[in-house]
Amino acid sequence: MEKLLQLTFSGLALGGTYALVALGFVVIYRSSQVFNFAQGEFLIVGAFLMTTLTSSGVPWPAALLVAMLVTGLLGAVIERVVLRPLVGRPTFVLAILTIFIAFLMRTAAVLIWGADTRAMPSPWPRDGTLSVLGARVTYNSIGAMVATAVALLAFFLLFRRSKIGIGMRATATDQEAALGVGIPVGRVFGTAWFIAGATAALGGVFLGMFPRVVEPNLGFVAFRAFPAVLLGGLDSPAGAVTGGLILGVLELLAQGYVNPALGSFGQNFHEVFAYMFMIVVLVVRPYGLFGRRDIERV
Amino acid sequence: MLEIGNLEVVYNKVVLVLRGVSLRVEDGQAVALLGSNGAGKTTLLRAVTGLLSIHDGEITKGAVEWNGERLEGLAPTEIVRRGVAQVMERRRIFPDLTVEENLLAGAYQRRDGEVRADVEAQLERFPVLAGRRSSAAGYLSGGEQQMLAIARALMARPKLLLLDEPSLGLAPKLVEEVAGVIGSVNAEGVAVLLVEQNAAMALDVADHGYVLETGRVVHDGTAEELREDRDVKDFYLGLGAEGRKSFREVKHYHRRKRWLS
Ligand SMILES: Nc1ncnc2c1ncn2[C@@H]1O[C@H](COP(=O)(O)OP(=O)(O)OP(=O)(O)O)[C@@H](O)[C@H]1O
Ligand SMILES: [Mg+2]
Repeated sequence: MEKLLQLTFSGLALGGTYALVALGFVVIYRSSQVFNFAQGEFLIVGAFLMTTLTSSGVPWPAALLVAMLVTGLLGAVIERVVLRPLVGRPTFVLAILTIFIAFLMRTAAVLIWGADTRAMPSPWPRDGTLSVLGARVTYNSIGAMVATAVALLAFFLLFRRSKIGIGMRATATDQEAALGVGIPVGRVFGTAWFIAGATAALGGVFLGMFPRVVEPNLGFVAFRAFPAVLLGGLDSPAGAVTGGLILGVLELLAQGYVNPALGSFGQNFHEVFAYMFMIVVLVVRPYGLFGRRDIERV
Repeated sequence: MLEIGNLEVVYNKVVLVLRGVSLRVEDGQAVALLGSNGAGKTTLLRAVTGLLSIHDGEITKGAVEWNGERLEGLAPTEIVRRGVAQVMERRRIFPDLTVEENLLAGAYQRRDGEVRADVEAQLERFPVLAGRRSSAAGYLSGGEQQMLAIARALMARPKLLLLDEPSLGLAPKLVEEVAGVIGSVNAEGVAVLLVEQNAAMALDVADHGYVLETGRVVHDGTAEELREDRDVKDFYLGLGAEGRKSFREVKHYHRRKRWLS
């Protein structure tokens, strides 16, 4: 029982970081229907920036804000310079372009920060834990869960209540009509990329706190977040978070219970498990748990 | 005043679609632009609203002047901000936004604090929309969607409203209703440029009309004159609703991709 709770809490925390990465996918997909494969690279940049900032003496909260801001701006710049001129091409072309962007960003990150691991600082005692229902939960886990909750709330307000949210959703459904009514579609894309970059940085910082180190391979977590996005529905922030949490918990439960049972064969079973689960869900619900079909009425 | 002078538009660098069109809409005037499929009516509107470039279209000659200022090369947002709003062909409402959000989208470039009040004003003008303000616009009927498209355009507080075939696909009774709405908007001082294949409806609403054929203005006169003109009568007024409909079904050209330059 204690093990189950323990694994569940860690799973929620891990899932929270998946969710943050997934939210970045959603915000870009939601405004431009482009699947951004470079999301994991924004995460690396954000995490490395964080280590650089804190090790040069910037207090943790300020460093987090600056890392998010700078990574967000990087996203906006990449959108403006690389993607904007190509908008209007089929979206899969743009999606493929983001793969090259990912490659370039990863290379640049290695050039700047090296391929070695770096320590990711925490604002609280590293090994501090709280006892919840008898299980020990690390401050890191709680921090990740809080960050996810705050980000989700912010996304909800952004999409549902803000002007830019209307602009993004309108642009996603009909770019020409959005332009026609006066929405500055280019600026909407830029904003989406900014938000995606900033959220990725947030995810990177919390993800880095689990192994407590940052290295370029951290970005591969984005591939673990794909199932989260597809599971939740590509255009749904709530879906991205739910998908992320479900996968995080399943992953740790599989690691804790199924892997040992499979013996040496089961060493990395938990990593495959997420994909297996995703496939099953998508067979039953092709648009994901929260994704919506288009409203079409002619 | 909108003044289009000797306008030439080319698509994809080769297809010449407008061949020297001149047209004018005075302040507060209602002008009809008639023409059959492929005449270039939508192209003319795109040249005004800045949407040509996303269709790989280009103004190669002539000018579009709005209150003395050249509109060519301005971003669509800027053109809306200057008081030129449009109702696009096939309505193009945002189906998964609510009615209210569609209206807010229409006011996107406004910076004043009266947007909320204007939403209420539009809902009052269109009672069918008021009851549906929080439901997804995609679930509205065709007529309601047309009303929403008009209301959304009015949210920009335009001085000139461009409408592209607002009667398309509507039952006669709804066509009349749309005509009534356009008439009352015009009566409030908003100039109107109404593109239509339904000449009877358009000439009812308009003071002045132009007939466009393969990229050239072939007739131009007061609504009265055009109604009496034999060619117009034969070709546009003579066609019953049936005829017009089959005409439209032939229309395949519909490009609705995503672009932006
Ligand atoms: N993006 C484009 N690229 C190439 N040709 C185009 C493009 N858009 C329109 N055309 C051509 O330009 C001509 C005029 O088209 P336009 O849409 O302006 O006509 P229209 O008068 O609005 O017709 P309809 O009544 O069918 O809407 C047509 O021959 C059409 O095939
Ligand atoms: Mg047309």
